[in-house]
Amino acid sequence: MRSQILTGLASAIALLAAPIAGHAAEGTRVQVTGEIIDTWCYYSGVMGSPDAVVGSAHHTCALWCSAGGIPVGLLAEDGTVYMVLKVGDDAEAAGGDTILNLAAHTVEADGMLYQRDGLNYLVVSEVVSDMDITNVNHDDYGNVPSFSIPDPNK
Amino acid sequence: MRHLIACLALIASPLAAQDFSEGSEARSWNLYAEVPAKFEAEVVDVLCTLTGDCPEDCGAGKRQLGLVRSADDVLVFPMKNSQPAFTGAAVELAPFCGQTVTVDGLMIDDPELGANNVYLLQTIKVADADKIKANQWTKVWAKNHPDAKGKGPWFRRDPRIKDIIATEGYLGLGLEVDEAFIADNF
Repeated sequence: MRSQILTGLASAIALLAAPIAGHAAEGTRVQVTGEIIDTWCYYSGVMGSPDAVVGSAHHTCALWCSAGGIPVGLLAEDGTVYMVLKVGDDAEAAGGDTILNLAAHTVEADGMLYQRDGLNYLVVSEVVSDMDITNVNHDDYGNVPSFSIPDPNK
Repeated sequence: MRHLIACLALIASPLAAQDFSEGSEARSWNLYAEVPAKFEAEVVDVLCTLTGDCPEDCGAGKRQLGLVRSADDVLVFPMKNSQPAFTGAAVELAPFCGQTVTVDGLMIDDPELGANNVYLLQTIKVADADKIKANQWTKVWAKNHPDAKGKGPWFRRDPRIKDIIATEGYLGLGLEVDEAFIADNF
């Protein structure tokens, strides 16, 4: 009995120790299709519901946030968010030109996925297809935030 | 046996949920999932940490930077600096890449949406130095864009943003779609 308990405890220790010791991230090749989003507005709720801070309704704000260096994400069709760290040869994921020009676009990306501490990080090898903006939602939500389009009457 | 149980508890402790709000002086942004968090961490280049692609200057503020928390080795991803101006945190952290700092700010904790270990950075403190506010982004932008001086916030004057809006429109669907939307809504 004692030896069985010891064996069980040793297994438990090994199981608990594994996530601590094994921190080196291992990438997995993936192909993902989704929208290039502004992750801060999406996660924080600062501008409204998740459905309102994507697509054409949020295009201008997505430009502001991307140019401002806020992390850009790829929101896949299943709702998974991938934090984009690099696109092709451009590692300037904090305000770089490549990522800025994809704001609110739906893309098909081929790359390497790294997972750590509850987040998905994506290193895009190639944008296989850039479908421009396909999420046309401004009739439902207006422009988000409302000041993203300057009032022409002022 | 007692030794084994103690060892088990010791190993298990970092995996338990930890509260980093103690001592935090973070200002609330009234976000539904915000949790104040002050902790010590190493500033890292996330791409370098995950893939081994490591420039000497950590990307000089152009790459996304992370915070590897000393208490539990968790990689926290700072998404936002302290300015309410659509501005990220990489520029704030870049001068400290590779250093151990104490940061204060707000964790955004919404696992259902996938928001795990993401952070709004408000202050940075190195060793015994005074803490500094994470609000340098707009000053750096102004320094890098001397030709974009003028009234209004930076995002109305940024040449790259203006160029895209001039061709794709505010809604990103072309200028004709913008015109119709503005006519109906303003």
